[in-house]
Amino acid sequence: MNINKLKNFAKNIRKNIIFTAFKAGSKSAHVGGALSAADIMAVLYSEIMKIKKSKIIDDNRDRFILSKGHACLALYSALVEKKFLKKKDLETFESDGSNLLGHPIINKLSGIEFSTGSLGMGLSLGVGVALAAKRKKKNYKTYVVLGDGECNEGSIWESILSANHFKLDNMIIIVDRNNFQQTGKNSSIMDLRNLKNKFKSFGCETVEIDGHNIKKIYETLINKKLNNKPKVIVANTIKGKGFKLFENNNNWHHSAITKSIYKEILKEL
Amino acid sequence: MNIENNIKLWSSLGMRATFGLIAMELAKYHPNLMITTSDVSTSAGLDRYKKKYPDKFVDVGIAEQNLIGVSAGLSSEGFKVISTTFAPFQTLRCCEQIKVNLGYMKNKICMVGLASGLVLGNLGFTHCCIEDIGSLRSIPNISIVVPSDPFELFKTLNEAIDYKNSVYIRLTAGSNTKIINSKDYKFKIGKAVEILPGEDVAIIGCGNILGNCLEAASILREKKIQCSVVNMHTIKPIDNEKIKDIAKKNKLIVTVEEHNVLGGLGTSVAEVLSNERNNCKLVRVGINDFYSSGGSYEYLKNIYGLSVEKILETVLSNT
Amino acid sequence: MKNKNKYIEIFTKSLSIDKKKFNEKIKYNDIPEWDSIGHMTLMSDLETGFNISIETDDIIDFSSFKKGMEILKKYKIF
Repeated sequence: MNINKLKNFAKNIRKNIIFTAFKAGSKSAHVGGALSAADIMAVLYSEIMKIKKSKIIDDNRDRFILSKGHACLALYSALVEKKFLKKKDLETFESDGSNLLGHPIINKLSGIEFSTGSLGMGLSLGVGVALAAKRKKKNYKTYVVLGDGECNEGSIWESILSANHFKLDNMIIIVDRNNFQQTGKNSSIMDLRNLKNKFKSFGCETVEIDGHNIKKIYETLINKKLNNKPKVIVANTIKGKGFKLFENNNNWHHSAITKSIYKEILKEL
Repeated sequence: MNIENNIKLWSSLGMRATFGLIAMELAKYHPNLMITTSDVSTSAGLDRYKKKYPDKFVDVGIAEQNLIGVSAGLSSEGFKVISTTFAPFQTLRCCEQIKVNLGYMKNKICMVGLASGLVLGNLGFTHCCIEDIGSLRSIPNISIVVPSDPFELFKTLNEAIDYKNSVYIRLTAGSNTKIINSKDYKFKIGKAVEILPGEDVAIIGCGNILGNCLEAASILREKKIQCSVVNMHTIKPIDNEKIKDIAKKNKLIVTVEEHNVLGGLGTSVAEVLSNERNNCKLVRVGINDFYSSGGSYEYLKNIYGLSVEKILETVLSNT
Repeated sequence: MKNKNKYIEIFTKSLSIDKKKFNEKIKYNDIPEWDSIGHMTLMSDLETGFNISIETDDIIDFSSFKKGMEILKKYKIF
C-alpha cells in the first residue's frame, strides 16, 4: 500500500468534484456530501475493490453501490481516476440528455451498478447482490456507502436485519457519518445517537474510524475476517472536507460553485 | 400434465395454493429460479416448495421494501425472480421501490399479489386491495395481468417468467374459484380472450369476477340479450385492437373489476375509447371510490355492484 | 367391502403412499405429502372417485383415514 498514491487519488477526486460542480454552474451540485466521502472512495477504488477496466462487467468483479446517491460526484470522480469515465464526461454533468445526472443512472459499462438517489434503497439492492454471490458460490465483495441521514429510512434497518440473517460476511457497509443531512444536523432533525451501537446490536461486525485517515480506512477495509456477519464501518467525516469554505457548512449540501468561489478554493489544492 | 384433471383440482385449491404447485413445476424447468417473500410462504402455498428448494427461496420477513430491493439485486445477478406477498403489501407498501428498481432500472421480476380485490373483506380493508392496478399503471416498464382462474394463472406464470419486463400478477378469489377456462386455450400476455360471443352488449372483465359476468350473461340470454363476455386479463399493455373492435360492434360496454373504477380496467378501456369516434356507451362496474364496512366476499361484492344480480341490473338499466 | 378397497386405492394414490406400507391409523400431517395441499388434492380425488361433493365442514373435519370413513358414511359410501 502506497499511502502517497492513495492521498493523491483522494486529492484528484476532490479536484474532479469541484471541477464538475463548477461546470454545472447555477444548476448546483451536492458538494458537501461528495467531499466527505472522497477519502473512503479513494481507498476503495484505488486499492481495495477488485475491478478492472478490461473486465468491467466480469462476474467476479467487486460490486459498489452508492446508496447515498446524491454523493455521485465522488463516484463519477473516482470512475474518472480509474479511467472508466473520461474527464470530459464530467463536463456533461446535469446537462440535457446526459448520462451523468445529479444522481447516478445505472450504466454497468461505466461501472455504475445501479440508479440510486432515493435514499434507503441501495442497501437492499446490496443485500440481493451479496446474497446472489453466496448462492452462486462466488467470491466477489459488495461494498455499500450509506449516508447518516439515510439511516432515518426504515428500509435501511430492514436491510441490515436481513444482511445478518443471511450471514452476508461478503458485504461491507460504510456509513459516511458527516453529522448533517439536508436541512440541518442529524441531531436536530432526527437524532441517530450512537450509530455504531445500533449496527452492533443488529449483529454487524462494527467499527468506528476517522473517515479521513487514509491509512486507517485502508487497514479497516483490508481486514478480511469472515465470521458470518456483515461488516459496518462508521466513518466519522466532515461534510465538505478538503475546502475550508465548505467544511461543516451545511449550505454546501447542495449549492452552486461560482467562478470566484472556484478560484478561491483551487488555491487550497 | 393432464389439463382437465388439474383444472378441477386447481379450482378447488384456489389461486394461492395453485401458485405453490406451479412454483414446484417452474423450479424443474428454470434452474435459476428464485422465489422471494415477506413471511407469507404458507399463504402462497409455498411450504412444499420451501422444503424442496431451500436454495431457490428467500424470505426477508415482514419487510416489503427490502423484498423488492433484494429481489432486484438477485435479478441483476441473473436469477429469475418471483416475489410474493399479499397484494396491498406487494404493491402499495413498496411502490417506490417498484418504481425505482423495476420501472426505472428495469430489473426484471414477477410480482404475485395474493388475495387482491375483496376476498379478505372480513379482515378489513387493510387486507383488501382495490388500488394495486391503478398505482402500478403509471409506472413505465411494468406489465399487469389479472388471471381469471388458477388455470390462467398457470399460463400467466409460464409466460411471465421469461417476459421482456416486470409483470405484476394479481390473484383474486379464495378456494373453490369459479372455473372460467374449462379446457385448453391460447393465452398470450396482452391479448384479450372472448370467452362468450355475442352482440350489442359486451361485458369486459378481469379476474375471477368473470364468473359472475358469465352467470349474468347467461341470464341475459334468457331475456334475449346476446351479451358477449371478454376476458381482458392484461391491463397493461391493454389490448387496444380488441377494445376498438368491441366498440365498433356493440352499443354498450360494461367493464367489471374488483378494483376502484378509478385507475383500473374500466379506466384503461375508457382511455382507448376516448381516442376513437364510436357510438358506444361505457359503464364501469367496480369499487366506486369508497371503503365500505368490512364483511364477507359475497357481502362486499353485493355492496360494490359485483354480484350477478347487480351486474345484470347494470346491463339492463343501460340497454 | 368394495368401497373400502376403492377408498384405500384413492387414498394411497392421492398421497403417493406405498400400498404395501399403508397403515390405516394415518392422520393429517403424519407424512409430508398429507399437508394442506395434499389434503385438498385428496378431497378432490375422493370427490371424483366416488362422484360426490364434500361439504367444507367435512373437508375440515377429515383429519384421518378412519375419521374419513365416518364422514363418508354421510355420503352413503360406507
